[in-house]
Parts: sequence; C-alpha cells; structure tokens
Amino acid sequence: KPQVHTAFIRGVGANRIYAGQMAVLGRSSVGPIIQQMWNQEKDHLKKFSELMVAYRVRPTVLLPFWNVAGFVLGAGSALLGKKGAMACTVAVEESISEHYNNQIRTLVEEDPEIYKELLQVIKQFRDDEREHHDIGIEHDAEATPAYSVLKTAIQLGCKAAIFLSERI
Amino acid sequence: MAAAGGLRRGRLWRGARVRCQHCPPLRALQASTVLRRVSDEHKKEPFTSSSQQHFDSPPAGHQPEQEPQGPRPSYTGQGGQESEDYESEEQLQHRILTAALEFVPEHGWTAEAIAEGAKTLGLSVAAAGMFHSDGSELILHFVSECNAKLSKQLEKEQKLVQLGEAEKKPIDEFLRDAVEARLRMLIPYIEKWPQALSILLLPRNIPSGLTLLTSMIDDIWHYAGDQSTDFNWYTRRAVLTGIYNTTELVMMQDSSPDFEDTWRFLENRVADAMTMSNTASQVQSTGEAVVQGLMGAAVTIKNLAGLNQRR
Repeated sequence: KPQVHTAFIRGVGANRIYAGQMAVLGRSSVGPIIQQMWNQEKDHLKKFSELMVAYRVRPTVLLPFWNVAGFVLGAGSALLGKKGAMACTVAVEESISEHYNNQIRTLVEEDPEIYKELLQVIKQFRDDEREHHDIGIEHDAEATPAYSVLKTAIQLGCKAAIFLSERI
Repeated sequence: MAAAGGLRRGRLWRGARVRCQHCPPLRALQASTVLRRVSDEHKKEPFTSSSQQHFDSPPAGHQPEQEPQGPRPSYTGQGGQESEDYESEEQLQHRILTAALEFVPEHGWTAEAIAEGAKTLGLSVAAAGMFHSDGSELILHFVSECNAKLSKQLEKEQKLVQLGEAEKKPIDEFLRDAVEARLRMLIPYIEKWPQALSILLLPRNIPSGLTLLTSMIDDIWHYAGDQSTDFNWYTRRAVLTGIYNTTELVMMQDSSPDFEDTWRFLENRVADAMTMSNTASQVQSTGEAVVQGLMGAAVTIKNLAGLNQRR
C-alpha cells in the first residue's frame, strides 16, 4: 500500500528533523520538550516500519537523502532560535496531521470495519501530532520572524519530497 | 512493429508497477491482458491472417487471438455473449504453455513446442500463432511458474518453522537452499536454457524478465526474514540478484555429477556476501570508534589549551 510508504517516509523525516533540532537545541530550555516529541516520533516510526515489512512495501531509493535533508532542516531551523525550531515543528506537524486526516477519511470511506485497528492507530498518531503542533504554537512559533514564509517553504519542501518518494 | 510493441510494453510495465511487491508472479502477463482490454487501439498485426484460419475446438464464437502483448480488435459481433464455463484467454494460453513445456527438451523454446503442446490439448496447431515465434511467452511462463513453485515451497517451510516442527535456518543456509531449489527447477530444461536466457535478454522481454527476477528475489528475502526498511533493503536484494545470476551462468557450463560444482560455487558466493556484510558493519563500528577517539583527543587539547572554559 503506497499509503503505508508515505506515512513511513513522513515518520522518517519527522524523526530526523527532531534529531537535528536536538543536536542544536538539546541543551537549551526547550530541549526536554523536543526530546519528548522526538520519543513519540520514534514510536510512530517503529510502528510504520513494522507495517512496511508486513505489507512488503519497497522503501524509496531516496531514503538516505531524506535522512540527511531532515536532519539539516531540523538543525537549520533550530539555528534560527527556539522560535524557529518551533515554527518548523508547527509546519511539519500541520502537514502530517492533514495527511493523517486524509488517510482516515480514505480508510473510513473504503471500509471502516476491515481497517478498524489501523484506523485506531492512525487516529492515535494524528492526535499525537496535533499535540506536537499545539506545543509548537504554545512556544511562540508564530512569533518567529518571517513565520508564514518559513512555514510555507517547509511545507512545500515536504510536499515535493513526498511527491518524489512516491515515484522513486 | 517491434518498436511499437516495445513502447506499449513500457507503458504496461509502468501501469502494472505498484509499490507492493507481494503480487502474483503472473502480473506481467495479466497486466498486459488488462491493459489490452482497456486499450482503444485497433491496429492489426501481420500474422492475424494465419491465426484466423480456423479454431475448431475452442468454444463457439471465440475469436482467434493475437499475441498477448499486441493490441487486438475488440470483441464485436458476438454481442459479448460468453458462456459461464468459457475460460478466459489467459487461462487458455496458460494451459497451452504448460502443456508445451513437456516438449521443450526436444524442440527447444520454439513455436514447435507450443504447437505440440496445443496438439496434446486437442487444439489446432494454429494455436501457436497466438504467441511470438521466438518462444518468449513460453519462457516467461516457465519462469513465473518456477517462481510460484518456489514461493509455495518457501511458504510451506515457513509454516513448518512457525508450527515448531522445523528449525529456523541461519540466513546463509536459507539463501543457499532457496537459490538451489529454484535453480534445480531448470535441470530438466538445462540443455535449452542458454537459448532461453538469450531470448530473455531481448529488449522486448527485459521488463517482464526483470520484474519476475526482482519479485523472486524479494520473495526469498521476505521468507528469509528480512525486515529492513532502509537502504539495506536495496543492497541485500542487489547482492542476492548477483549471486543468483552468476550461479545460474555457472550452472550452464557445469558438467559435474548432480551439479556439485555449482552448489559449491553458490556456497562460496553466499559466504562471501555474509563476510562482506560483516566486514561492512565492522568497518562502520571501527569508523565510529575512530571518530570518537578523535573527538576525545580534540576536547583534551582544547582543555589543555584553556579554550574550553565556561563563560
């Protein structure tokens, strides 16, 4: 299922972004919060990896690139300061939540019964991501200079990455 | 003609390609049939005339077929009436090709073998006109049948392990056994297999051949318990593909009793691959250790030079 693959790539990306942010801001005041969000992402990623194996999905060839790019994005946004890191988190989490919502809608349309367990998992993850998003907002993400520009740029980048991953 | 066929093939291959590899091995042939059904093209192939001669045995109203990869005229005139027990075109082709395999050692991968196979089914020899004259479909059919057999065998073995009735094999033994089992299926046809390999390398056949090969290798790794979701996924499959192909070639020239030399070659290659992966992880951990050592040295120097003071 291509959806499992997309979710997996997003998980990998989020994981690497938090890793990057921790590398820069790990010892700052927001460190523990980022660490907590990162731990949740690691759990999500583990679940997606299991699904990838269960459905025998081929991971994209571009995976090593996304590993590096995610880290760079996380570190880069963190270098812009705590607010920058939070802005990046908000942008990414927003697009992830949207993606989960779409998936939930698709699965419910197709057959809620068959996918009950999967739906539960995705709903849980979506709530987690929304929580991350709200944490980001709480921490003054919106006060970042050029917030909307940054957010749009990051979301476009994510969309492009997913687009390529689905094809290669 | 061949170019157009090639283009069509490219399109059908892309259309049939999905992320999930766990698809039936006959995907290539089936996909071509599906795509043909929705295709609007109505070009006529040159040997339509020969296959249109007569078709006594198939159910009444059945139009003579053209090659599976080419376009065909739509089923008109019959009003789309098909009886319940009317077998589909793929099933018919499947039966003919399976019957034809028996004659391959004698006639090679040719239209003659297909004609003989059709005869045993009680069909006219003109049925061979359904297929390419170089036996491509016969070879692809054979390969996908072998892959299916391998999958079933691996699945059975896996069930035995799950039920606790068999020991789980170590990876190198598993890979060795799987490749050996698959290659042994070639033994009855080994005389004519080099011919088949060269036909599989025709540009027309490369997409299907490649798809069949990759799905077989993916199957073997799946049953071997591969759980990687990173780039290892690719390296493992590439390595196994290399092992399989080289062993197959060695087998072509092997004249030892029961192909002992081939199996020994296989064992060595698999062992090489295992060492390589061990070496790779050793190199990686050595590299990490070296980096950490350097970082430690850097911090020490900074401390000595008084550069590490907290402000």
